[in-house]
Amino acid sequence: MRRYLLSRCGQAVPVLFGVTLIIFLLTHVALGDPVRAMMGQRADPEVMARIRAEYGLDKPLWHRYVLYMGKLLVGDLGYSYRQGRPVSQTLAERLPATVRLAVAAMVVAIVLGMAAGTVAAVRHNTAADLLMMTFSLLGISTPVFWLGMMLILLFAVSLGWFPISGYGDGALGHLVLPALTLGALQSGYIARMTRSALLEVLRQEYVRTARAKGLSERVVILKHGLRNGILPILTLAGIGLGDLLVGAPLTETVFAWPGLGRLLVAAVGNRDLPVVLGATLLFALIYLGANLVVDLAYALVDPRVRLTE
Amino acid sequence: MAQRILFTAGLILWASLLFGEGTLPRRGGTYHYTLGPSDPPSLDPAHITDTVSHAVASELYDGLVSLDRDLKVQPAIARRWVVSGDGRIYTFDLRPEVRFHNGRSVTAEDFRYSFERLLHPETQSERTWILEKLQGAREFMAGKASTLAGIEILGPHRLQLTLERPFAPFLALLAYPAASVVPREETARWGRQFSTHPMGTGPFRFREWRHDDRVVLDANPDYFQGAPYLDRIVFRVIPDEMTRFQEFKAGRLDHSDIPTGLFQMVRDDPTLSRTLFSGPSLGINAIQFNLERPPFRGNPKLRQAFNHIVDKEAVAAVILEKRVVPARSILPPGMMGHNRDLQGYPYNKALATRLLAEAGHEGGKGLPSLTFHYNTGLVNRKIAEFVQGMLREIGVTVELREMDWPAYLNLLDRGDVQLFRLGWLADYPDPENFLTVLFHSRNRGSKGNLSRYANSRVDALLDRADAGLSPLERTRLYREAEKIIVEDAPWIFLHYYSTDVLIQPRVRGLREQISAMDSSPTLGNVQMRMVWLETEGG
Repeated sequence: MRRYLLSRCGQAVPVLFGVTLIIFLLTHVALGDPVRAMMGQRADPEVMARIRAEYGLDKPLWHRYVLYMGKLLVGDLGYSYRQGRPVSQTLAERLPATVRLAVAAMVVAIVLGMAAGTVAAVRHNTAADLLMMTFSLLGISTPVFWLGMMLILLFAVSLGWFPISGYGDGALGHLVLPALTLGALQSGYIARMTRSALLEVLRQEYVRTARAKGLSERVVILKHGLRNGILPILTLAGIGLGDLLVGAPLTETVFAWPGLGRLLVAAVGNRDLPVVLGATLLFALIYLGANLVVDLAYALVDPRVRLTE
Repeated sequence: MAQRILFTAGLILWASLLFGEGTLPRRGGTYHYTLGPSDPPSLDPAHITDTVSHAVASELYDGLVSLDRDLKVQPAIARRWVVSGDGRIYTFDLRPEVRFHNGRSVTAEDFRYSFERLLHPETQSERTWILEKLQGAREFMAGKASTLAGIEILGPHRLQLTLERPFAPFLALLAYPAASVVPREETARWGRQFSTHPMGTGPFRFREWRHDDRVVLDANPDYFQGAPYLDRIVFRVIPDEMTRFQEFKAGRLDHSDIPTGLFQMVRDDPTLSRTLFSGPSLGINAIQFNLERPPFRGNPKLRQAFNHIVDKEAVAAVILEKRVVPARSILPPGMMGHNRDLQGYPYNKALATRLLAEAGHEGGKGLPSLTFHYNTGLVNRKIAEFVQGMLREIGVTVELREMDWPAYLNLLDRGDVQLFRLGWLADYPDPENFLTVLFHSRNRGSKGNLSRYANSRVDALLDRADAGLSPLERTRLYREAEKIIVEDAPWIFLHYYSTDVLIQPRVRGLREQISAMDSSPTLGNVQMRMVWLETEGG
């Protein structure tokens, strides 16, 4: 296990190196001049040139990349052009809000998605199956902007059960509506995957044997069905959690949630290149981490899976 | 009898003070303020370039002077000032009782430090132009001088500023946040991070900043112009305009803006309409021609034809729900020099067709393929599509291209455009900020004149007006320059901006203060210390 983990970490190094190179090139070439964005509409070319020189933006691209990597290797992500603060501090500030929302949304998605998928599989080709799959399709295809606003109008404005927006010092009430909005999308995918995985498993001989032994349908479904069909669901949930952790800018926008997604969108809009680079690197790390966790979870869930290098 | 009359009169007065419009201001409470979609980029006055940061900073800092509701310069830290006969030397007497939030007294030396900090190359300020008219500013900015020649300390509370040459709007420039006083010990302590640990002399003190969520300020009970009525202001960052609207309707914001397309609904709603404030704003929206490129270079008739075919009344009525006034000139109403006699270019298809023919392009023939650039935004897109349709009426085809703001500014700086949308909001209430910045040939390109207009007669008039000492004479010169510019048609003058705000009924002292320099929902020119809340809540 330890060797496996070390090997996976070793594999991550070239991936991260590649990510820095691609993102550095993309941000510096495609996003254009960050100094112009900082200056506002009226800008003196002489002052702009001075600020560019101060930030090292007058140096050739390769030189800037070498300088960036030199700092990165000692853990320095640089300073935000806009706020003058260390990028690491900016990212660390957003992480708690992002993790809270991602985990809560994933709990919603797993509970709703697996329940709906199981009902659909067990009641295969019935009205219940059709209803569950229709809901899952709606979950996948409903724009989060619209769903978020509808939830606000119903639960916050009309019923007054939850606050409309904001982080609210981390109060649970503030988390409910954004988590439901974000979870609804993921639950649709999980429901469909659960249904197809369970249908596949329920056709197996060992399920017939379990039923023949006289086990209750609940035990058959939960112990023999879901447990054996969970691997693809686990993969989907793991990658989905990765998706949620790298931020959900639309949901964060509707609910004024101070997460990483909004940070990155704003940084791109402001051409705050150090923040764009830092956030993207963090996202790459999160995805690598999510994939690793999924692989480790395989071994825990399915004893047939062995982790090798 | 007399006693009974006096008693009744006293009772009426007491009741009116308690319940009526004349109710005495109530102290206490938290004001819930929305900054709109974005977190303030910086609360360091040297780096403030946007209305969001300005709204917060104006409560934290003070300068020598400020602007009142009528946009007249009024004393702030300077209690009085004298301007020399030649308009170059300004001598300020400072109030001795002003203190920073850390308790230290403000002296003239603090202003020297703050002004030199703004101009110092190490500060990398985006707003050096605020003080670049001071004598020796250019040398100081270039690192050729160790001190700023244009500042002289005449005593602990006496300061003299000398300009390179007379510049009439100078006092108005000093009301800009970049000219605020900052404590040297705090800027030294925090370095670049002073932007997130702000400290000034203002009516509110910095308490907390949770980025992309809220900024919290507490009342400064020792403020030199009197303690604020409010205990606290919570500035909330709410990116989505519909969410802001719902928060306002639920009473969780004390004021807010109106979502795009809902102005008419708000006006027709019996409850919401009572909360609506609408007023003019010192700003103009326009479609500009690149005058250095064909086909608009040297072809005023073509530009006039385009002007006449774009129906500004329709744009204002249909797209902007009659919340704005169609433009006939450059200087907006409320700005010194605004000329009501200018007629601009009213919609006239026949005239537009004729002018197009006279320009050598009858029915659009011979025109190269045209591209109309605009920056991302729902209203901008609607206007662009509307204009595209109207130009088609006279046989002109334009392709639309939308870009995000930073890329758009880079494109405009390079001049790789033919036709583009660009508005302008006043930095300070003076015609110089519109006419000289936007049309003087020395400002061609990124300095403001992005249509690259150049007319030596206009330049001469503007130079004289900028240096003039008599407001009447300046007005006359600006009007003359503006008339020539409008006739040259370097822009399609679309409409003057407006400020539309929803204000809760419990909020008092806000409506009366909103000026034409305010924009919604950030009311940067309002003094929040004068605002009070009739009831708790929110």
